[in-house]
Amino acid sequence: MIRVAITGVGIVSPVGIGRREAWANLVAGRSGIGPLTLFDASAFPIRIGGEVKDFACDEIIARYPEAAATRDRKILLGLVAAEEAMADAGLLSEDWKDALVCVGVGLETICLEDLTPFAGAANLSEAIADGTRKRSEQPFQTPLDQTARLLAGRYGFGCGSITNCSACAAGAQAIGEAFGMIRSGEAGLALAGATDSMLNPLGLGGFSLLRVLSEENHRPQEACRPFDATREGTVLGEGAAFVVLESLERARERGAAIYAEMLGYGSSLDAFAATDPDPTGRGAVDAMRRAMRVARLAPEQIDCISAHGTGTPKNDAAETAGIKEAFGRRAYEIPVHAVKSMTGHMIAASGAAEAAVAALTLAVGTVPPTLNLQARDPDCDLDYVPRVARPFGGRTVLSNSFGFGGQNAALIFGKHGVGPR
Amino acid sequence: MAEVAVTGIGLVAPLGATAAEVVERIERGESAARPTPFGAAFDCPVFAPIEGFDAAGCFPNNKNLRLMNRDAQMAAVAARRALDDAKIVVGQTYPAEEIGLYGATGLSGLPVDEVRPLIQHAAASDGGLDLQAFGRVALRRIRPVLSFKILANMPICFASIFEGLRGPNAVYSPWEEHGTQAIAAAIRAVRSGEARCALAGGCDVKTHLLSFVTLQQLGAFEDWKRVGRGRIPAEGAAMLVLERRADAIRRSATILCTIEKCADVSPATHPLLCAVKSQLGDCFAAAAAVQTALACHLARTTGRAIASCHGFNSQPAAFLLEAA
Repeated sequence: MIRVAITGVGIVSPVGIGRREAWANLVAGRSGIGPLTLFDASAFPIRIGGEVKDFACDEIIARYPEAAATRDRKILLGLVAAEEAMADAGLLSEDWKDALVCVGVGLETICLEDLTPFAGAANLSEAIADGTRKRSEQPFQTPLDQTARLLAGRYGFGCGSITNCSACAAGAQAIGEAFGMIRSGEAGLALAGATDSMLNPLGLGGFSLLRVLSEENHRPQEACRPFDATREGTVLGEGAAFVVLESLERARERGAAIYAEMLGYGSSLDAFAATDPDPTGRGAVDAMRRAMRVARLAPEQIDCISAHGTGTPKNDAAETAGIKEAFGRRAYEIPVHAVKSMTGHMIAASGAAEAAVAALTLAVGTVPPTLNLQARDPDCDLDYVPRVARPFGGRTVLSNSFGFGGQNAALIFGKHGVGPR
Repeated sequence: MAEVAVTGIGLVAPLGATAAEVVERIERGESAARPTPFGAAFDCPVFAPIEGFDAAGCFPNNKNLRLMNRDAQMAAVAARRALDDAKIVVGQTYPAEEIGLYGATGLSGLPVDEVRPLIQHAAASDGGLDLQAFGRVALRRIRPVLSFKILANMPICFASIFEGLRGPNAVYSPWEEHGTQAIAAAIRAVRSGEARCALAGGCDVKTHLLSFVTLQQLGAFEDWKRVGRGRIPAEGAAMLVLERRADAIRRSATILCTIEKCADVSPATHPLLCAVKSQLGDCFAAAAAVQTALACHLARTTGRAIASCHGFNSQPAAFLLEAA
């Protein structure tokens, strides 16, 4: 099997635009969560979120005029993160013509503003049918493959463009799929990651109905408390992250800077319930074990875990149970940290952002902290790196992502030079 | 390289519930196309619905059905039919965690009735979106389960929940191209040993009003405007059971055909496969799986068939199916 290297990283997140700013804020334990400003959320039960601040939509549209018609913020976030990763890898534009692009996304934005003009019609269906056909310049729904399509249109990506929509596991699965295709020789170079923004009225409204969001509007920066005994829910975030994957041999030949090697990927399904994770963490265990099998690593060879860690009571308990099952006594020796404590839940993009952070963790030698962890929960009794970043001399990081509906993914990265054992 | 076999087909389509029935009715010249109830509002005047579809017949008294959009119900029925066809008992034939599930889903095609409360209670007097009314009134008037119906991955998750499938997985969206990716990913997973067995397919409902709005806006009906005929939006789902040929022989399964991705993506030459979309309709994210299922059925009599998938907004792809 071909060894796979990570040679480019791009992050657009609530804690910063660009990998340097995002990493610096994560390590410093600065939260990116605050009152929502993207729209007037004053009448909503939830009024906080992890917004990408100072994001210059006009600048990216000037570079991508073909994106001008979109009203879907996640597409623009994705383009910026993708371009940062590509530039970071230091490849030539013709290299991308034969590459693969894998993009994870959540769900398409539906523009209710297109439909409300017909609210008073006697026959709503008829009115919508008659009225909306004339609005072809701005589609009512943005197809999920729009980001991949724009990137392919600009750079080629002749090896294919894949759009994965496995909810909160989509980013990790997109990277996992690219890893598999490079490892098997089906692709030589890949750009993989994810983008999402649910910080719009329908997205925020929909998630608030599911009762998984923290309602602590009065203290936004403390609202997301993964693994804390007082946690009440997650906080919606937005963002995008991409990594560049290529064969280790190719990366070495061209003298590329290598953040980490990617060693393993595993996915699984809970097959439990649409509404809740399996409380035993069984699906998470399957994904972690599958990733370790691919990486040819034993549980005692995993040195750090980037948790899915949403801050919902059920997720964090189930994930902890799963880690204990997968790692046994070793679980208590592994630092487990939750990026979402600072970014909020970037939904489809979260797995990609956390994968990028895992690569940086290995490259820099620091584990970011889990913010807001004060009160110990007896069901969550692992070492969660509370509040302060920690020096890291380990050789491997496993990153978990669990999707709504029961899709799970685990990725494993190794310090450059480690490789499969 | 290990050969991958198709050992089961599950179909939910406008002209029948099995590949044999659909093929027979297409050969008889039947068409699923019906006039839409949308009048002259769209350039496309017809669609291909599945009349009388009721998932409760397959899953009686299952409370999950009320959480599920029509596409998810179709995917669940197709998955059940495929596993039954392959005579696979999850947990006995293969461990649940070794059965993968790879699917494609379409743009969320909700019926207008589902979003009506949002539209009516969030509308400002000038026709705009009133965020105060949205937050205070409209959100209280819609059913919380709406979220389950618009998440693109839920059809595949429900299929996993109904059948207890726990293996490797992925969901792709929203066009025929992504249906081909689901099948290709499943072939890869089975061939590499990542999964012992995998369900691969797709589901889509393109017969709702809001689907028509989107398709019209995206230019899918241009041919209708230009030449008075074109793609017929349909609904349906198809699932294939894939496993290593050696494993299928070992468990004495009926091998319908072998399958592999094919470099030749020229349009289908088999007359029946050429006629599929004009008579059965185009169910977008599910179209590749439907085409492949029918090609698999044909390969059993003709020896080989190519499922050539050329969809709207899609890169062409093809699968070669050969009788075992």
